[in-house]
Amino acid sequence: MPLESNARIVGELASRGYNAEREAVTLLAGADDAAAALEAAVEAAPDDALRITTDHVRAALDDRGPVSNDGSDGAPSGQPSATPVNDDGSPVETKGSGVANETGPTAGVGADDRAGGRDDPGSDEDHRGAAHDRDPSRRELAVGNDMTGHSTGTGEYADFVRTFRDRYERLSGLLRGRVNHRPAEAIADMPGGSDAAMIGLVNDVRSTKSGHWLIELEDTTGTFPALVMKDKGLADVVDEILMDECLAVEGTLADDSGILFADSLHFPDVPRTRVTGGADRHVQAALISDIHVGSEEFVADAWSRFTDWLHTPEAAPVEYLLIAGDMVEGVGVYPDQDEELDVVDIYEQYELFAEYLKEVPADTEIVMIPGNHDAVRLAEPQPGFNDEIREIMDVHDARIVSNPATVSVEGVEVLMYHGVSLDEVIAELPEEKASYDEPHKAMYQLLKKRHVAPQFGGHTRVAPEERDYLVIEDVPDVFHTGHVHKLGWGKYHDVLAVNSGCWQSQTDFQKSVNIDPDAGYAPILDLDTLEMTVRKFT
Amino acid sequence: MRPDDERYFARLEERLDEAFEVAETAKAQGKDPEPEIEIPVARDMADRVENILGIDGVAERVRDLEGEMSREEAALELVTDFVEGTVGDYDSRAGKIEGAVRTAVALLTEGVVAAPIEGIDRVELLQNDDGTEFINVYYAGPIRSAGGTAQALSVLVADYARALLGIDEYHARTEEVERYAEEIALYDRETGLQYTPKDKESKFIAENLPIMLDGEATGDEEVSGFRDLERVDTNSARGGMCLVAAEGIALKAPKIQRYTRDLDEVDWPWLQDLIDGTIGKDGADGEEGGSNDGDDGDGETDDANGEDEQAGDANDDEGDDDSTGPTGPLRPKPSQKFLRDLIAGRPVFTHPSEDGGFRLRYGRARNHGFATAGVHPATMHLVDDFLATGTQIKTERPGKAAGVVPVDSIEGPTVKLANGEVRRIDDPKEALAVRNGVEAILDLGEYLVNYGEFVENNHPLAPASYVYEWWVQEFEAAGADVQALDDDPHVDLEHPEPGEALEWAESYDCPLHPEYTYLWHDVSVAEFEALADAVAGGEVVEGVLAIERTDRVASALESLLVEHAATPDSLRIPTWRPLARSLGIDDGLRKEWNPADLPRQVREWDGGDNAVKAVNAVAPFAVRERAPVRIGNRMGRPEKSESRDLSPAVHTLFPINEAGGPQRDVAKAASTMDDRGRRGRHELEVAERACPDCGTHTYRSACPDCGAHTEPHYECGDCGTVCEPDEAGRVECPRCEWEVTAATYQEVDLNDAYRSAMEVVGERESAFEILKGVQGLTSTNKTPEAIEKGILRAKNGVTSFKDGTVRYDMTDLPVTSVRPEELDVTADHFRELGYETDIDGDPLRHDDQLVELKVQDVVLSDGAAEHMLKTADFVDDLLAQFYDLPRFYEVNERDDLVGELVFGMAPHTSAATVGRVIGFTSAAVGYAHPYFHAAKRRNCDGDEDCVMLLMDGLLNFSKTFLPNQRGGKMDAPLVMSSRIDPSEIDDEAHNMDVVRRYPLEFYEATREMADPEVVEDRIKLGEDTLGTDDEYRGFDHTHDTTDIAMGPDLSAYKTLGDMMEKMDAQLELARKVRAVDETDVAERVIEYHFLPDIIGNLRAFSRQETRCLDCGEKYRRMPLSGDCRECGGRVNLTVHEGSVSKYVDTAIEVAERFGCRPYTKQRLKVLDDSLESIFEDDTNKQSGIADFM
Repeated sequence: MPLESNARIVGELASRGYNAEREAVTLLAGADDAAAALEAAVEAAPDDALRITTDHVRAALDDRGPVSNDGSDGAPSGQPSATPVNDDGSPVETKGSGVANETGPTAGVGADDRAGGRDDPGSDEDHRGAAHDRDPSRRELAVGNDMTGHSTGTGEYADFVRTFRDRYERLSGLLRGRVNHRPAEAIADMPGGSDAAMIGLVNDVRSTKSGHWLIELEDTTGTFPALVMKDKGLADVVDEILMDECLAVEGTLADDSGILFADSLHFPDVPRTRVTGGADRHVQAALISDIHVGSEEFVADAWSRFTDWLHTPEAAPVEYLLIAGDMVEGVGVYPDQDEELDVVDIYEQYELFAEYLKEVPADTEIVMIPGNHDAVRLAEPQPGFNDEIREIMDVHDARIVSNPATVSVEGVEVLMYHGVSLDEVIAELPEEKASYDEPHKAMYQLLKKRHVAPQFGGHTRVAPEERDYLVIEDVPDVFHTGHVHKLGWGKYHDVLAVNSGCWQSQTDFQKSVNIDPDAGYAPILDLDTLEMTVRKFT
Repeated sequence: MRPDDERYFARLEERLDEAFEVAETAKAQGKDPEPEIEIPVARDMADRVENILGIDGVAERVRDLEGEMSREEAALELVTDFVEGTVGDYDSRAGKIEGAVRTAVALLTEGVVAAPIEGIDRVELLQNDDGTEFINVYYAGPIRSAGGTAQALSVLVADYARALLGIDEYHARTEEVERYAEEIALYDRETGLQYTPKDKESKFIAENLPIMLDGEATGDEEVSGFRDLERVDTNSARGGMCLVAAEGIALKAPKIQRYTRDLDEVDWPWLQDLIDGTIGKDGADGEEGGSNDGDDGDGETDDANGEDEQAGDANDDEGDDDSTGPTGPLRPKPSQKFLRDLIAGRPVFTHPSEDGGFRLRYGRARNHGFATAGVHPATMHLVDDFLATGTQIKTERPGKAAGVVPVDSIEGPTVKLANGEVRRIDDPKEALAVRNGVEAILDLGEYLVNYGEFVENNHPLAPASYVYEWWVQEFEAAGADVQALDDDPHVDLEHPEPGEALEWAESYDCPLHPEYTYLWHDVSVAEFEALADAVAGGEVVEGVLAIERTDRVASALESLLVEHAATPDSLRIPTWRPLARSLGIDDGLRKEWNPADLPRQVREWDGGDNAVKAVNAVAPFAVRERAPVRIGNRMGRPEKSESRDLSPAVHTLFPINEAGGPQRDVAKAASTMDDRGRRGRHELEVAERACPDCGTHTYRSACPDCGAHTEPHYECGDCGTVCEPDEAGRVECPRCEWEVTAATYQEVDLNDAYRSAMEVVGERESAFEILKGVQGLTSTNKTPEAIEKGILRAKNGVTSFKDGTVRYDMTDLPVTSVRPEELDVTADHFRELGYETDIDGDPLRHDDQLVELKVQDVVLSDGAAEHMLKTADFVDDLLAQFYDLPRFYEVNERDDLVGELVFGMAPHTSAATVGRVIGFTSAAVGYAHPYFHAAKRRNCDGDEDCVMLLMDGLLNFSKTFLPNQRGGKMDAPLVMSSRIDPSEIDDEAHNMDVVRRYPLEFYEATREMADPEVVEDRIKLGEDTLGTDDEYRGFDHTHDTTDIAMGPDLSAYKTLGDMMEKMDAQLELARKVRAVDETDVAERVIEYHFLPDIIGNLRAFSRQETRCLDCGEKYRRMPLSGDCRECGGRVNLTVHEGSVSKYVDTAIEVAERFGCRPYTKQRLKVLDDSLESIFEDDTNKQSGIADFM
């Protein structure tokens, strides 16, 4: 039984009921006959041990005589580096992301600047592998905006009204300081020619015959139309407007007070200057999504390379794993899906996913939200999984929360959202503002609108709740989505927007619409500096 | 034409003339929008073309050309006439081209469908980027009804005209080319195309077409790239353009090429690349391409696609056989296609090619042969009445769908009763008697399909069942004196005694009679041996063979369809000698062979699952395959026979705004008080008409002051200029250059109009329950109908269609010979109608003689007859009380309708066909000659269309009532054909075979799965008689049927209650029928009906519109105020929990009960959880007991 990889060793130990220390695993992997070493280590462990430690392994290896590491018990941390883990499978910096990084507006998030450091084995291991101490006691993880178990809506008309009112109230609050809002009702009574401003949800946007735009805004008192003249230089802004987002318009009333001639438009937006959070130690989080276990296209090899890498000293600081939905391929997501499933049974899909998750070091903190392929309702917000599926995924005590949810990781606020609305943003907006090749730009739009899925009645499905959980009330430090299977990241007003790729190679459907997914990438976020590196595992 | 036929048509036209005379007198009174009859009579296709187009001189020219050339060539020839101005009165070049294109399409569709007028909007000249001019043809959705060939040819005609007029070619801009490709793909996704060109093909066509194809938007979905193009008006898909490019040019390239070759002026060399399929093939996914070019054949409106696959596959099988030696019988490959989109409540009768299902028998019954399927009436009853005459079934082969007809001269179903007895049932009465005791339907009986159906669908002949008509020809060929035996009163050749059958088989070298040929191909060799042992070990008591009852033997007998009774430990077979002999056992029950006698090849035939070879190895005679091919099918639409009512129903085409309430009650509107206290005053949008005599302005067609006929008054709404219509009927203001209509808002005293109308016809309000009007008129000039007509309609209980006619819809079925008796009329009636002899040439004396139907004679369903009686009363009242003329019909009972003329008319067409009522049927269908249906451009696979009473159409139809939107002229009798020319009908009907017997060669050919053409010379088809004296007669059939209305009158689908009840019945039937896999049915119902319903409604719920309950205002999103912004009323959802979750529990229950796949169950579970998550409050759920501790 070849036991060359760390992940397999962990799996093997897990199957025997043992947890293992990282160093111990590395030692085992480095042994000449890893399988035998593992057997011996298990033998050596006391009956009541739950965790295989380096001591056990050394004891075992020593017992077996001068097979390896002869007399090397003094240098536990240096040892593993002498036995490189699978050269061909080892992670490399992604070239693609490097290029995107240079051309994109994302300077400063760089992978390249630290790539050099990483690639230098000496400094790497000395600095990180040896030094990093995965100390669970120093971890801080809190979840906000989680509506799991609090879905109080019953699908009544009043629930919908409540949701939209909550959206209006919270988002208009962000704009009130900037304009002098008058209710629609009041504006209609103002004398013609007066200056006026209104904050409302966009009820309608259309272009007029003469090439101007008519925007109808709605507040709790009614609607009022605003005309954006084509020569105002606002075309660019109008292009970005989506239905049902919250917007402020400032301008002058027409003589008959029937319409507002807009001078300026304001989005709730993210303030440019803001104090960002950060961990007070060097610790990292891996941001991934769209694993799609159960699909014929799930890239198991890449996944294993990723989890192998997580076991290396280099990855020791990766103490958090945030998964933004689509753990499995699901059932009934599209017609005749069963013909393309590797695992047809939804429960088996989650069981298999749990198996794959076991490859991740046991002491990693994991947070997951559901996606549109998962076995929860499609309408957003999506509550976390039901108890049956939670039990199946009961690995490493992962936290399962709703989509969207905010996760506070050692002082860094991460907004996790699966990203179904990105399709719509990309479809509605001009290509230079949002495209599948630059999904982070679509995310900027959502940040600007301070709402993860503004448009109602189209692609995105809404489940009415007592409040609008999709509003981005507090500005996050990191915005993490998936869904579109494309890798892209960048900073918008100091918020790092990351669309992690996926773990599923191109499907027939994607081929037919010419989408080339970015499979097998793991963005790794430094929680202390908020800088990010993308690692490629294919 | 034979004198007989001449007389027949003369009789029809005589009655037609009578009616015209009366109607003309009535119309001349000027009480209608036009003072003349508005349905012109067309004697032939040329007339229809001219009438539909309204271009003078076309008919004459078409008749000239018709003798000399094909219709396609004539269409091209006419282009010259249009260009030179000898036909049509067009000044502009665009007009000439438009005329030529429309005429071409009309010619190619025989002047019946609406495509030429509705499908081509206009032709215009536009400029290329280099300043030269090009032609743009603007198509609309209804071009669909023209079919691919006519669509494609319309482009060629436009190009030919272009060349003759010296106009330049169209040079597509790059973005336009890209747009075509994107748009065609979009249209295919949204609406679906029969043939979808690859992007490369679309682009190639767009680049090379010398004519620009354009059209109006037909869908809501917009293209994402290539928007807002200068020369393309819309961002949505243009359906007409997509159809012409894809189903026309791309699909019919080979056909067009034939004509471009003959034209010097037109050169489309690029067609060759399309035909070769080299375009779009070099890509990664160019698999098909070629295969699609194959079926350019005939199928204008239809479905030929995909059938080639089967043919191909079958041939592959053959190939295998040749190389490895025969290992199994030749069979068509099962096809699942017909099971797609199975709906709850519409059962499956036979899974694809499944044992126990419908057995294919060849032949044409007299009520059969034009996309129909003959089913035994006993079967109809046994499938719990789900099948009735006219019910549509979706079928595995040869076509896609068929209308069911009852045929009792074929074998009925075989059932197993609760007491273990296995019995074949050939009598519908017996079927009803035993129905409750049926435990399983072992076999559904035979399924009659005629040879012509295989020709029409170009489907390889499937191996024939061994039946009497085949056997008797083999018997004769073997030397038997069939004639003598047939004459012998002691011999029944079709159903001989077992002894006779065995003797014939042994003394002549002829296969065993089909009556005693069992379905050996359905049992395995092992079962065969077990059965032989059981029979050899049995004993004969009082002539009945009793054998030991074991499951294996019982199941073998059931598969073989051997009738027997059962006791707890024995099976008793009354007719056992042929069975024993076939098993190689003599009359003394001695088995004459050992297992070792069966050679390996026999044992391994078809993998050992087929005992035919084994039987032939041990029996003393040849035994043929009894029923090698089973035809899978399921229920499609139910049959239809009901009056066509608008919704809500309309008695009079008179507008009453909202004042009539949801019922559109004229009386209510007439009594509504306005805010000034006046009753029945309403501001209505109606036509302004002027009296030529006294100058009075009114909305009425007759002047209220002097009674003269009024004319529409066209006054430009902007400048007040009074305009006159031009020759084409268009009215344009010369100053403002826009179209002017006569419609204006006028204050109308509805109360007075209503009361005075009642006075005119001398009726009181008590004469009718309610008089319903319309909210508003949709016609161009908004000319209202006289309320009087509505009053009389209401009085007689009929309602009006949008064009003023009273209509009744029926499913179409063909019949070529009838018995007066079955039509509830007498031989006397028939003789009065001109029928003199029966089909054998004997004088017609008795009600039960079989008579060949004349082509324009129709049979009304009971419901239609009743409706026509009411219509006749209405028409008579109208003549007497409104027009002051004598009554025309004077009907008292329905026999009085016999001999009266009706119109038959199909949707999407614009030409009515005159028919004559000859009788009635209790089946809920309209039986008529297949040519009559084909003249209306219908086939009989479940299609339905309407009949109208002749005089009603003449008096009440007016073009001025037709809606002015796209498609408004469809389904309106713009012209009527008084006689059917068999050469000018849908050629689908020409493929019907018209013989009394199929020859032996035919049956032999089926065993080879030959193409139907192979025997085409041996079997006469309708097309063989075209243009001869026999074109109206000699429609022989191979199978008779006792009555054309046997079986249930209505399908259970229509008599059962709600969807759940229907589905339960469907699943119960699935459980009973051996050929149906009930789990699969349950799966499919869930997959195709319940899941899409739940998913669709769930999706709709989470992105729904809302609507004000008080004023009806719609909101895309819930108003923030919560209340209606218009009226302050209560707003509510349009999709509620109830409609989302209505099927969930049932679906879960069905999935559980029928053992559906976990995949299906899990999908339901996930959905159920989603519903709970959305519609239930997490914090308010049932509390566990722990909460109380």
